[in-house]
Order: sequence, then structure tokens, then C-alpha cells
Amino acid sequence: MALLCKSRVRGVLRPLLIRAAATLLALRKDARLLKVPPYLSALCIVVGVAWLLVLPLDEYSRRTYVSENALLPGQVHTYFTGSEHNVFRAYRQETAALADKSVEERTQRLSTILGAHNLKVATQRYEYHASGRNISDQNVYAILQGPRADATEAVVLIAAWRNMDGKINYSGVALVLTLARYFKRWSLWSKDIIFLISGDSTSGTQAWVDAYHDSHSPDTIEPLSIKSGALQGAVAVDYPAGPWGHRYDKLHILYDGVNGQLSNLDLFNTAVSIANGQMGIGCTLQRMWNHDDSYHQRLQTMLRGMISQGLGHASGPHSSFIPYHIDAITLQTVGDGWHDEMSLGRTLESLFRSLNNLLEHLHQSFFFYLLLQANRFVSIGTYLPSAMLIAVNFSISAIALWVLSGRPQTPTPNPASTKPPQPDQQAGEKANEKEKEQDKPTFIVAEIAGAKTLIPASSLEITERPLFLPLTFVLATHFLGLLPLYLFNHTPLPYLSYTFTFVALTTTLLPLLTATSLAHFQRPTPQERTLIQCFSLLLLGMFLAALATLNFSLSFLVGLLAAPLSFARASRNKGLSAVVGGLLLLLNPVVVVWAATLYFGQDVVEVLVKAAEGWHVWGLWTQVVVWLVWWPAWFAGSVVVAGGLVS
Amino acid sequence: MLSSLAFLLLHVLLAGAAASSEYDERLLLRPLPQSSLLASFTFRSTEPASTFSQQNLRYFPRSLGQILQHAHTEELHLRFSVGRWDAENWGQRPSYGAREGGTGVELWAWVEAQSEEEAFSRWLTLTNALSGLFCASLNFIDATKTIRPVMSFQPEGDHKNASNLHVLHGTLPHEVVCTENLTPFLKLLPCKGKAGISSLLDGHKLFDAAWQTMSIDVRPVCDAVSSTCSVEMEQTVDMVLDVDRAKRPRDNPIPRPLPIDEIECDTSKPYNAADTCYPLDKTAEPAWNLTEVFGRPLKGDCPLTEQAGDNANTVCLNIPPERTVQVNTSGEYAETQFSSGTLRCYKLPTGADFDLVLPKQQMTTGLVLAKPPLYAARSINGHGQERGSVQAIIKNPSATEPVEFVYLESLPWFMKPYLHTLRARVDTSPESPIRETYYRPAVDRQRGTHLELKMVIPPASTLTLTYDFEKAILRYTEYPPDANRGFDVAPAVVRLLSPNSQDKKGIYLRTTSLLLPLPTPDFSMPYNVIILTSTVMALGFGNIFNLLVRRFVGVDEAQTVGTGGVGGVVRGKLNRLKALLGKG
Repeated sequence: MALLCKSRVRGVLRPLLIRAAATLLALRKDARLLKVPPYLSALCIVVGVAWLLVLPLDEYSRRTYVSENALLPGQVHTYFTGSEHNVFRAYRQETAALADKSVEERTQRLSTILGAHNLKVATQRYEYHASGRNISDQNVYAILQGPRADATEAVVLIAAWRNMDGKINYSGVALVLTLARYFKRWSLWSKDIIFLISGDSTSGTQAWVDAYHDSHSPDTIEPLSIKSGALQGAVAVDYPAGPWGHRYDKLHILYDGVNGQLSNLDLFNTAVSIANGQMGIGCTLQRMWNHDDSYHQRLQTMLRGMISQGLGHASGPHSSFIPYHIDAITLQTVGDGWHDEMSLGRTLESLFRSLNNLLEHLHQSFFFYLLLQANRFVSIGTYLPSAMLIAVNFSISAIALWVLSGRPQTPTPNPASTKPPQPDQQAGEKANEKEKEQDKPTFIVAEIAGAKTLIPASSLEITERPLFLPLTFVLATHFLGLLPLYLFNHTPLPYLSYTFTFVALTTTLLPLLTATSLAHFQRPTPQERTLIQCFSLLLLGMFLAALATLNFSLSFLVGLLAAPLSFARASRNKGLSAVVGGLLLLLNPVVVVWAATLYFGQDVVEVLVKAAEGWHVWGLWTQVVVWLVWWPAWFAGSVVVAGGLVS
Repeated sequence: MLSSLAFLLLHVLLAGAAASSEYDERLLLRPLPQSSLLASFTFRSTEPASTFSQQNLRYFPRSLGQILQHAHTEELHLRFSVGRWDAENWGQRPSYGAREGGTGVELWAWVEAQSEEEAFSRWLTLTNALSGLFCASLNFIDATKTIRPVMSFQPEGDHKNASNLHVLHGTLPHEVVCTENLTPFLKLLPCKGKAGISSLLDGHKLFDAAWQTMSIDVRPVCDAVSSTCSVEMEQTVDMVLDVDRAKRPRDNPIPRPLPIDEIECDTSKPYNAADTCYPLDKTAEPAWNLTEVFGRPLKGDCPLTEQAGDNANTVCLNIPPERTVQVNTSGEYAETQFSSGTLRCYKLPTGADFDLVLPKQQMTTGLVLAKPPLYAARSINGHGQERGSVQAIIKNPSATEPVEFVYLESLPWFMKPYLHTLRARVDTSPESPIRETYYRPAVDRQRGTHLELKMVIPPASTLTLTYDFEKAILRYTEYPPDANRGFDVAPAVVRLLSPNSQDKKGIYLRTTSLLLPLPTPDFSMPYNVIILTSTVMALGFGNIFNLLVRRFVGVDEAQTVGTGGVGGVVRGKLNRLKALLGKG
């Protein structure tokens, strides 16, 4: 060993530290350093995307497991068979007969059937206004008071009268009616069970759960006349088979709620474990009907899940419950197979027996996850860096732009060199000859401890940053987003299509117009442009990083679509500016939305109607992110690029 | 109307007090709608005050008597309850709610003491002693769960030195009442569940009931004329059984679907077929008998009860006169009818099993159930970890009579109400219904909130009482093992002032308890933090320490410095000294 211990610390360490500090300080002035950030940003984006792509691999994802020991999924024998099937068929006939009846008659009849089971029945009217439409219907619900319960806890079984596709949920409603009758006979319920037949899949459940927590607007939504305790979980059933039944192949489990919030993974796992392990029914998710567990299929499932989460829309009757911290899922029957309504009933029976076992609110398992398959998931610790890296790329660019804005506008020549300092100046030699003569660098003589040195005067200059215009501009841009936000949420349905075209055109032309009109005042100067872009990217980076912890998918998608903004700069080269400007036009949020609707075969107006409904009914925040985070960043970036075009 | 008369009459029958040792018991059975059955057991024993103070007890249980004397408790009320009374279907509560408690355990007592501190220390003695006697966590009724009600409770007994009496009240809403509480309860009875109506009390059936409450009330009773006093102890068990569920045999309790031929189908439906059956409602009164419903036979009379007079009629049925009842016994019994046949009472045979058999019967008349004077429901609104609000809805169904009542809330200290947000609205009048307010704010970890409101509801009106509250953050060690379940908040107690009851018991009703979710930490977090910090400390400290204490020298210099070990160090020192000297 050549190393020996000696306590001569100071003597060795101090010069080392001083040297390191000096190197760092010298590096600060190094022009090479400013070349690094764009590559670093690009690296962040590439790593962020690559990170996401490796998640479906076995090494980076985990098999699901039930954390909460109390759930004991599939440990009970189910008895929902025999004569209950006869009763179910009769109730299905009853619901089928209600298809053409008025809402009042339907509510009346459903209340009568539930009341005959000795349950406490109540109804609720609700009415919402969105996009100039009236969404009004009635909910019917019944409370089974658990024989051993003390009204402190309850679980909910939901069947919406109409499912998400607008089909009447005949068998689902009939199943709930039959199960209500069947559950009433058991004495083991430790929680109340609420049977809810909501008028429709999204606003009905929303009205009900809002009223249950007394956070509804009392003008249009009726308060609930009877209530039970704290809701511990909710399961919705979507089985739109008509009076002659339909044998299904698989259960499609929906688990995402409004604003990308997810229900506890334990609930999903319990449902999968019961359906799959106990009943032998295959489970699927995110409309992946034939999942062969390949990398490609897993990735597709994950991406579908991310898009659904990113949009933040209600995906089923369960979605409205999740914002209230009530874990909820929807079981939807899909395909043609050999499973019948009784196996779905037994699945629900077993699921409710598991929920009945719960001693505490579901809290053990994950609330943030990406599912790759019914029994494989990625947890937040594994996937979060991906969106964070994308968000960090903006922050890096912003810091680089800030440093850039503080640099002297004239380049510092190398005093030792005899060659022209920049090679590109060789191109226009003649023109530059004179300039060079004029721009002969001035030097200042500095003397420290008898040693003299020449320092270029420009490197001692202090560059002031004019902050007023950039800050005002960036703030104004963010407030400008409120206009389209208001416009889309309050335009009546017939005008939505025109509004969309109008906003699309305006937002496309606005950057150019703004840049042209600003150019009249000889503003913004190149330095101000840099600062505008710096603040805009700084805000974008911060917003996206914060959003990544709340709604990973939305943050990731917006970050990816806004990624070119980190690299788009104002250029004196008009051709280059035009190309970059054209590329940015394609990334206009409005254009992206339009392109996405084309790609997914949706109608723009329908999407807008849903979004407005989301805003007024479910409390959807996606529009806010689009118009107050994404769009301002795009607008600021576009104005800067267009500034290069018009100056 | 007839039934309520009969009900009143029954209470009058049991109300007489006497100066000698006495014991009587009574079971009242009353079918309720939806095939439910209310069974009210009452056991009453009296002991003259003189012999009680000498602990010369005949029927009064010695274990309880000694506790009461030791803790200087003059009057005691103890309740164990499970489930909730369904006032809309079942009507008026048994004993007007005076023998009923909130979910869990509720205890209030009048303790004789010179000062508040002394009263509280005696109260702690009482709760700890009762905790052992009844196998309940009564010892957890500490200062934070104890209040001193002002308007809600009045003494039922005749007290002489009323000025020295302190009323203390405590609840344990989270306490799960079960068979371990029933056994000590039965042991207090003279016949101890071996004979008499107490032989019907079976833990399995009692705790399978839709609602049940056990109560123990001890009070001094004085005769105004002879001015002799006695101590009366009343034990009651009220339960509502679901007849269908209770009839299931214990070895086969699973409610399997019935074979299809045993289900009555609606044949008028067009789709009625072999595989489709719309089940018809059961309209007939279900068949039941005592043995089936209670799971064990009634083993004759408790020989210690009076053998003659009204109090000898031990089992009473409150049913319409047309209902058929068969008596199954080998012994000698007697039947008496009251209130034009709506109340049938039986004197039990001694030493022989007794059973009442009621067959399935299609009824033309039903019993009219007395309407409760008030309906009350309470719930927590809002969501989130920080705040919430409580909403209590109290309805007065009477079309003519206003109701005056006291509303008592005893809240845990970690639920902090904002009194300025307290609103009481009546839907029929703009006037505030609140007449008087008594409020004692909580002190963190010392005592809970105590709120009493005296309010009036006009006829046919609904009163909505709301207040906001803030949730406190508990210390890490203050959380119970099931922290994520939430914390139970005791039921609110409503006592009616007018219309008042005829006797001193009063008219009460209670809301259900509430579940308050509090912000809970991630309990594994401290361990993660400890592990992470230790790792960082180990890595960071280790490296820096390493740098600090080592000297880096070239391989060629190592020879002069020497190798490790003590010898090496000494040699190194010497070498260095030499070098220094040489330099100098």
C-alpha cells in the first residue's frame, strides 16, 4: 500500500479546492459551455422517451399482488345461482319493458322493485347545463342497512341506466335489482350497501356523489334524502344485453377517473383475481381485446392507458367517485363467449364479500401506476423520471437562455489569436474587412501583485437585462389563454364547430400578427426575445414537473408535444425561420387536437362537447392545462420565431 | 292507537316501587313490519336502601353494588348498543328511547362528591371497575371522552343530597358490543339465564339482530308517603330480530337461493315461464315460535319472581286480536288479555319448557305503530383531509305540536368545530330555532368539545343544523392500529323537553355515530427516512472522514514512511522527526 494515514489535511485540501473553484469560475465564461444545454435537453427528451419504452419489459415492471390482507379475494364460496337466475330473467324483462317509458315512470317502477326488497329507497333529480344542452335525468338508489353495521361505512353497487355508449344497460340494472334482493338475506354485511341506478353513466353518478358529500349546487341538483356512512368503494356494472341475454367472453375493467386519478390498485387486483382465479373469466383493460402479453401489446396497453389518463375524461360510471377518494371500478362485459349473467353476479358477490372484509379504507396499494396487462404494472417510482426528464429539458433550456441573455452582445475575440475569431466571417470577407478594423478589440491592463495582464474590455462589461417587456409579455400570454378557455366552455353546441375553426385560425395567425405589430416598435430586441423564451420555458418546465406528480400522462404528453419549443430560436436566416415557424404551426395545440381527432376517428365537436361537459359537470382540468400551460408556451415560442421572420 | 295504549299500560304495570326486596321480569314481543320482531326483556330488582348500605343484598348483584358504593355512585346508566333503530318502519322506540344508548358503549352516572376533582376521580374509579365487570373497554373513558351534560340528562331517582351530585357522561362509539358483554350481563340476574325469560338470551341470536341494546339502570326510589327508600336496578335488553334470518338453523345459516318451486311467482306477468319468475311480495305474517327465533327454548318461570298479581305475567305479546297463538308447554300456565286483546300476557309454568307458536297467517288488520315525535339523521359532508362539516337533519312529523328538545354533541378533541359556522334553519320559518346554547370548547389532548343546544321545531318542519370543523393532525403515536379506518364520533343525543314524558325517564333519541377520516401519515415513512438518512450519512461521512484522515503519498516514498502497524507508525514518526531535524 502506497497510501498512509496522516492528518495533514489543510495543506493538501485547500489548494485543491481553490484550484477547482478557479476552474469552475473560468468555465463560467467559457463559450463552449453554452453549446452544451441544447444537447443536454435533447438527451433528456431522448432518455425520457426511451425510459418509457423500456417499462413494458419484465425487468422494469412487476406482477400485481394484493397488498391489503383483509380483502382475501376469492376466498368465499358464492351462492348466487339457482332460482336467482329465474328472478334475474324476470327483472331483465321488467327493465326491458321500461325502455320506452318516461323517466318518471322508470324511476317509479325501479323504486317499487327495490322497495319490495325492504330496502330504503330514494330518488334524486338532477340537471346540468353544458354547451347550451340540458342534461337532466333521475337517479334511483336504495340502501341496504347492514345488520351489523352502524351506518358509518358503505359500499356502492352501480348500474347506470345508459352506459357510456348510450345503450340501455338492461342486464346490468336487472343484475343490481337481483343482487339487492339476494344481498338482503345475508346477515354478514358489516357495511351498508347502496344500490344506485343512475340516469346516465357520467353526470348521474356525479350528481349523486356530489350530493352525497353535500358539494352539489342545490339549484339544479336535488339533495339526497337518505344517506349512509363514509363510502369505502364502488363497483359499477355495464352489461347492456337485452331481454334475451348475451353470453360474453371477457370482463373489461375500467379504473381511471376524472383528471387522471386512479382507483387503488388493490381494488383492481381483487376484481381481476376474483374474475380470473375464482370464476375463470378473462380480464382485459384499455380496450385491448386480445392481449397476447407481447412487448408490443403491453406497450400499446400502457400508451392507451396514458392517453386515457392524460385526457382525464370520465371513462365510466365509477369515474365520478374517484375524486372523492372513493376507490371505484367498472366491470364491462365484452365479446362473445360462454360466460353468463350469473357468473357476473357471482363475481360481484365475491367482490362485495371482499370489500365487506375491509377494516380500513383502501390505502395499502398503489394509487399511481401504469397497467401493462391485467396482472402487470409499473409503479410511480419507476415511471416518474420519464416525465420529469421531459420537464427538466425545459428548465435546462430556460437556464441556458438566461445565461445567454446576460452575455455581451458582441462576441469576445481571442486576444492571442491572429486569425479571425469566427470561421463564418470568412464567407463575407470584403464586408467584414472594415468591420474588423472598427471592431478591433479594446483591452484593459490589469495589475495584480506586480503581474500585469491584458483583459478584453468586452468581458468586463456588465450586460443589463431589460425585464419589463419579456415579463409582461409572458404574463399576458398566460392570461390570454383564459379567452379560449371561456369560449369553448360556454359556446352553445350549434356554434362550437365555427368557434373551433375561428380559434384555430386566430391562434395560427396570432403569433405572426403579434410579431409584425411588435416589429413596428423595433421590439423585441434579440435579447428580449431570448428572455421571453427563457421565462416561457421556465414556467413550462415548472408546471410540467408539478403536473407530473398529479397526472403523469398529461405532463408527459404535453411535454413531448412542446419539446420542439426548447430548440426553436429566432434566426436571422429567414428561410430557417420560415421552416421552424411552419413546424411550430403544426404543433399549435388546436391543430394537435384536430389532428388527434382525425387520427382516432372522432368528431371535433363531440370532443368539445364532452370537454365542456367535463368542465361543468365533472370538474375536468385538462382544458386548463391546455390553455393556460401548453398554449401560452407555444404562443411565446411562436412569436419569438416569427419575430425572426419579420425583423 | 291500540298498540300504543298497550305499550303504555305495560310500563305502568312495571312502574310500582316497593320497600321490600323484589324481583320481576317481563318479555314483550311485538311483530314489526317487514317480518321483524321486537323483543324487549326487562329485569327489575329492588333492594331497601338500608340493607343496600349494609351490603345485605338479596336480588341486587353484590359485584355491582360494591362498585357503586365504593365509587359513591348514586345513580348509574350503562348502555351497550349495536345497529340502528329504523324509525320510519318500526315507529316509536321502546321505552321512548330512555333505555337506549348510542352505538357502542355509553355510560352516565350521578356521583356524590364535594368537588369536581373528587367527582372525576370517583368517576375514573367507577369506569375502571365497570370495565372489569363487563369486559368492555370502559376504562378508556378518560377526560377527553367525559363531559358534564347540563340540560340533556336529569336524574331518574329520588335524591336527597342533590347539591353534591355530579353528572358525568362518557361514550365509546368504537366499542364493539358482543357476547363477552352479554355473559356478565346475564350473571347479574338472579336466575342467571338458567330459567325465566333470560334463558332465551343467546349470544348468537342477540348479536345477529338488526338492532339491539342492553341497558343497566340503578337509581334510588323513595316512597313519598312512607319516606322509605330503596335501590332499584333495571336491566333491559331490546332487540329487533329479522324473523326469516333468525329462523335459520345454526348449522345451516347460509341463505342459499330457495328451490324455484318454493318461490311464489307472479303468474300474471306475460313473460312468466319455467325459467322466469317475478317473485311476489310476502303479504302474510310469517310463522315463528320462540324456540326457533331465539335459538333455545324458554325454560319456564324464574322462581324468584312474584307468583301472583300483574307482575306474574311474564311473557306478553302485542299482536292484533285475530292473530292465532298456540301455547306449547307441558306445565301449567295462565293467559290474560289487556287492551281489548292487543296485549296477551302469559304466566309461565315452573320447571317446564314454554313455547309460543304463531303460524303463518294472512292478516286483515294490522297494528298501528306509534309515530316517533322526531326523526333525526346526522352525516359528515365535504371531503378532504383538512376540513369537513356536520349536518344534522331533525324532522318533526306532527302536524300540530311544536317540539322542544335539547341536542347534545360530544366531539373528540381532534375534531374542532367552528362555532361561528353553526347554522340552524327551519324550512317553515325564518326564525332561528335555537333557544339556548351551552358550549365548552375542546382543549387539545385534555378534553373534547361539549355542545348542547336547546331548540324548538315548529309543527311539520325540518330543522337543518350544520357546522364546519377542522381536523387536527395527531402525533405519530396517537394513531390507533387501524388509523385508515377513521375515527368514530359519538352519536348525538336528542332529549325531548316538550311534549314531556309522564315519568322521570324522559324521551330520547340518538343519531348514528359518524366516521371521521383524519389525515394519516404513511406509517412506513419514518423507517424509509431512517434507512435513507443512515445510508447518506454512512456514504457521505465515510468518504469525507476517509479523506480527512488519510495521507496520499507516492509508491516510492512509501518505503521511507514504512509499512503499517504500530511499528510502522513509530518508525514513520521517527523518520519525520529526523527529516525535520535534518532540515533545521
